[in-house]
Amino acid sequence: MIEIGRVVVKVAGRDAGKKGVIIDILDDKFVLVDGETRRRKANILHIEPLNQVIKIEKNASHEAVAKALEELGIKARQTKPKTQKPKAKRKTPEQLRKLKEEKRKLRDIFKPKKKEEAQGIKETTLEDKAGLAEAKEEKHEHGHKEDKPKEKKTAPKKTTKKKE
Amino acid sequence: MPAPRLRSRSLRKVFRRVPGGRTSIHYKRKKHKQARCGNCGAVLKGVPRELPYKMRSMAKTKKRPERPFGGVLCSRCMRRNIIDKYRQ
Repeated sequence: MIEIGRVVVKVAGRDAGKKGVIIDILDDKFVLVDGETRRRKANILHIEPLNQVIKIEKNASHEAVAKALEELGIKARQTKPKTQKPKAKRKTPEQLRKLKEEKRKLRDIFKPKKKEEAQGIKETTLEDKAGLAEAKEEKHEHGHKEDKPKEKKTAPKKTTKKKE
Repeated sequence: MPAPRLRSRSLRKVFRRVPGGRTSIHYKRKKHKQARCGNCGAVLKGVPRELPYKMRSMAKTKKRPERPFGGVLCSRCMRRNIIDKYRQ
């Protein structure tokens, strides 16, 4: 019953219920099966021989088996061609620099207020300084009284706020 | 006296020794019965007996054997079925 070219049905495992052909007899227990099933070693106890026999060479290729089985109306298993995924390459230092720059730009976009405030503070301080400087100059110009310059000090601050 | 919702027999009691030394009762859901063959009634192997929340996180391939009628028929009955079909 068990010979090369004998059509069999697998009875156990993942390929159970699928038809195939014996391609090779490996042992007193094991045979090589191909067809609807995967091309693999199978125990004799795990196959059920049918009454059909195909003319096929020992260790025939999967294509030859597929052709032979087409005559019987059995479609052999077709595996998808393995497509290798492109490996993720390491980024070069230049690319890393560019990424960093982009991140910085994004940061600038999302944190505009703080920077503006900081700039504003700086400006005010500068202006204050300028105002103070002017006040000092005025002190020298007007006289030596202590009460007047205090008022003047407050005045320029107000003006700066208005400017803003 | 436990809360009324815990007095049902649909929950099982689990006695737990707490760090303080006393035993407290935890109420847990019962597991379902073992899966059985639809033909002969034999206990199916490779079908886990877990609560639904654990079954949900399990992969499909871990929940039943990867063969025709896996998780429904035992391997013997499945083989018998196939052989009968082709011997006619």
